[in-house]
Amino acid sequence: MNKNDLLKFEEKIKIIYESGKIRAPIHLSGNNEEPLIKIFKKIKRNDWVLSTWRNHYHALLKGIPEKWLEKEIIAGRSMGINNLKYKFYSSAIVAGIIPIALGIAKGLKLKKSRNTVWVFIGDMTFETGVFNECYKYAKNHKLPVKFVVEDNNLSTNTPTDKVWVKKTAKPRDVIYYKYKRKYPHHGTGGWVLF
Amino acid sequence: MVLVAGYFFRIFMKYKDELIKSMNYLAKKPNTIFLGQSIKYSGNAIFNTLINVPNNKKIELPVFEDTQMGISVGLALQGFVPITCYPRFDFLILAFNQLVNHLDKIRKMSRNEMKPKVIIRTSIGSKNPLDGGPQHTQNYTKIFQDTLTEVKVVFLNSPNQIFSSFKKAYLDKKSYSYLFIEHGDFYNQK
Repeated sequence: MNKNDLLKFEEKIKIIYESGKIRAPIHLSGNNEEPLIKIFKKIKRNDWVLSTWRNHYHALLKGIPEKWLEKEIIAGRSMGINNLKYKFYSSAIVAGIIPIALGIAKGLKLKKSRNTVWVFIGDMTFETGVFNECYKYAKNHKLPVKFVVEDNNLSTNTPTDKVWVKKTAKPRDVIYYKYKRKYPHHGTGGWVLF
Repeated sequence: MVLVAGYFFRIFMKYKDELIKSMNYLAKKPNTIFLGQSIKYSGNAIFNTLINVPNNKKIELPVFEDTQMGISVGLALQGFVPITCYPRFDFLILAFNQLVNHLDKIRKMSRNEMKPKVIIRTSIGSKNPLDGGPQHTQNYTKIFQDTLTEVKVVFLNSPNQIFSSFKKAYLDKKSYSYLFIEHGDFYNQK
């Protein structure tokens, strides 16, 4: 899946959403195709990927078929795309995936698996206490977890740097990239008549 | 059965003994794992029911109740059956987020694909001989029953129901999760 494929998918979802066919919130991705494609080159087929409410790109790059994903989104499950076969779990609760990632990683370690759990979080989630304790636990127990912080400096529409005054420095073992949001927090920015 | 003055009496094991028996049963299963605070190190009543569980089946955790519940969900997604222990009901409240928003909703969110089985143990704090006070003795059973839609809530009122309840939970073919609520005072009374 290349940059163009990702862009096209979200544009298609945008059109479907604006037609009123999706009766649930959608959180479209955009402007972060290149860093994500680069990160996903490191992610193996049997690795787990844990994501958030903004998960379409993560799901596609993990290998989830476009048609299946589109159906799930139309069925109103965009915020919680979950697929056991592709080892993909996402949640609409801030930081909710992080402790679950620890448990999956602990299970992998107990089974002596060589797979990794990749956890995609936003910059506001990175500042939470949950991240802090889970990062510390994962690191000290050498759990196979890799954290990725996607920084658009916004949580819904609240600027992270304003509410925390300043942002915490990212540890070197945390993958980090910055981008500017293409679409609004949810929806498309257009008026939809349901 | 014992014979006393010509009558046979059945001797029931006590509440705590039944809990120990249940934990011994679960510990023998290859996919179970016990986790929480005071699992390997003494400090609460639940610890005393895990005395026969081998240390390699136990994960002693720091105090981070919500993260503990998330870890339990994650382990269950990997095929383990975690027995996740919260020494007091008052502390389980701190794990309400992972319990309600994840464990209780994950089947629905995954079209019944993800069915992590977690066995949760908690206990209403005892009032005798010491009263733990308002933050250590509350019973929130009804609130949890009213809130949880998938996770089964079982109040362990009688020693007779304990072993069969844990066994049923472990063997549940539909892979539901269970919350077992014990009562600290029953450890000495029943």
